[in-house]
Amino acid sequence: MTKYRRADPEISRRKFINVALGTAGAVGGLGLVTALAGVRPPIRITASKVPAIAGDILVYAEGPDAGKPIDISKLNDKLTHAWPQGKDKTGAPVVRKDEPNNLLMVFKFAEAELVAPTDLKATDKGVVAYSGICMHLGCQVGNNASKPGTLLCPCHSGAYDPRAGCKVIGGPPPKPLSQLPIKIDGTGLAATGPLNAPYYGSTESDWASLLEEAKTI
Amino acid sequence: MNQWLDERLHISRLNDKFLRKAFPVHHSFFLGEITLFSLIVLILTGVLLALSYEPSGVLVKNPMDPMGSLVPAAYASIMNINAMPFGDMLRRIHHWMANLMMGAGLMHMMRIYFTGAYKKPREINWWIGLLLIVFTALTAVTGYSLPFDNFASTTLKVVVGIASSIPWVGEWIGQAAFAGKFPSSGLIPRVYGYHIMLLPGILLALTGAHMLLMIKQKHTQPRYAKELAYKKIVGVPLITQQTPIMLMLALLFTGLVILFAAFIPVHPSEVFGPPGNSSPIVKPDFYLLWVFGILAILPGSLEFNFLGGVFNAEFFGAIVTPGVVIGLLFAVPLIDRSSENQYYAENPTDYPVRLAIGIAFFMMIAVFSVAGYRPELVQSNILKESNANTILWISAVVLPALTYFAVIGIVRGIRKFRETDQREMLAAAAADD
Repeated sequence: MTKYRRADPEISRRKFINVALGTAGAVGGLGLVTALAGVRPPIRITASKVPAIAGDILVYAEGPDAGKPIDISKLNDKLTHAWPQGKDKTGAPVVRKDEPNNLLMVFKFAEAELVAPTDLKATDKGVVAYSGICMHLGCQVGNNASKPGTLLCPCHSGAYDPRAGCKVIGGPPPKPLSQLPIKIDGTGLAATGPLNAPYYGSTESDWASLLEEAKTI
Repeated sequence: MNQWLDERLHISRLNDKFLRKAFPVHHSFFLGEITLFSLIVLILTGVLLALSYEPSGVLVKNPMDPMGSLVPAAYASIMNINAMPFGDMLRRIHHWMANLMMGAGLMHMMRIYFTGAYKKPREINWWIGLLLIVFTALTAVTGYSLPFDNFASTTLKVVVGIASSIPWVGEWIGQAAFAGKFPSSGLIPRVYGYHIMLLPGILLALTGAHMLLMIKQKHTQPRYAKELAYKKIVGVPLITQQTPIMLMLALLFTGLVILFAAFIPVHPSEVFGPPGNSSPIVKPDFYLLWVFGILAILPGSLEFNFLGGVFNAEFFGAIVTPGVVIGLLFAVPLIDRSSENQYYAENPTDYPVRLAIGIAFFMMIAVFSVAGYRPELVQSNILKESNANTILWISAVVLPALTYFAVIGIVRGIRKFRETDQREMLAAAAADD
């Protein structure tokens, strides 16, 4: 009689256990991935977070007058920080400062000093407003102490010229600062529309949907 | 007591296996130990700080301001820590220690590189060591973001901006890693979680693996061991000879850092103030200054779309370039291989190309770090706004190249000198006969 080994038609015990363990581990591991869904909380847009829209008034962002409307007689060629203040659903005023990218800079120059590419129609008697957030990595732009009259971002030294549409005059920013169209409203300032381009960190499509939302909130 | 423990736990086996590990006696072999001591001091001071720190962005009254202005609770708790006995000192020691841990780790890495200790069979430990350096840097950055003063919040915004600059997935990654759109209410708890749990856990695990592999594979032997006892392990055992040396070094080092911390303040949160509308001048600590420098001299116009993804200067400067640099470091044992197991530390001057590449590499990092001071260089009229980028980029290429050839030249000189010396010695010996 010849010795022969019976070919096992079924899978071996070892293989079965390995496959079973592997499957259980994979399914369990995948189950844990759902726990990761919570790491990115949903974004809730509120009236205090939407960007400035037409009709918003500008209020001081800091100093003793923080929260009070900008007084145009106190503006000068140094930057003044401002927040846009709109209204919520009930019509109560709401300062839109929960979105740090809403920070604005307001200047008053002699009218002749403002040159292209500034949108001159969006200025009023030499008063001009820009987004205060650097287009490079989102720091707050400040006065340039060593080159008065220009702006300097303290993070990576992006430089802007506020008399010329805040075009980039040095450093790494990819785009000029966005300009907010404004008009003088009594002694204060009011926005006549949204920023002429998205602020830092926002794409064109995000920006469009944000503005849509701003109108409905 | 030893006997009591031994009867129950057989610690004599542990002793034979690990505690008798022979440590080579050479000053360059203490750099890794100093890194380890810093980690221990960081954990001790970190635990003490965590007892009083409040990881929250909720606005509370500023304890420093009699007018009671509102500041994030994290910032307020830092002010309270500063007011505690030794509180400010704890923070300073913690911060200085982190800087020194990076410094000691990097110097330890240089020692390994220049003596060829990364070659077979120690490639794995080279890679673990690099991971340790990367994770130490990450831990340090999350650490100095925690006080949530104006400096820290600006730093965090830049970090989120960098994470968000990855094409296609950046926006999602930035929000997933930092709990929503900057600055969300979950931001500080998230960074706190990273800093005190996730990253130190990774660091400890990697450190454990690093030590075990080092004990298993043994140090490369310093060159004097070759003459002393060829192919034998020369050194002092961990218990008891090496331990007092280590203790002495640890205490001396910690004492120096404490002295340092007492006289040189670091990250004064009360000076930066709570997050506000004016970013302060931010610079990362020294080990990330080169990334900062690259970001400062890359033109922002470097931006293009590809298949719907945006590739911008931040992505190239802060993710691609450091990725390439770290990738190259990881590749070192794959590029420079030895067929035999490496036994003795190599004399750096015997490998002029490796030495020169290494020094040129650090030269380039140094130039990029100087580029981090671009605004100061421009303000002090050393460079002009118009030519700063060009000059810095040219130096980033030319200076390392010059360094490379200078090192090769010097090494050749040394070798020639040594050879003539030997020849003359031989000649003199022959003349004596």
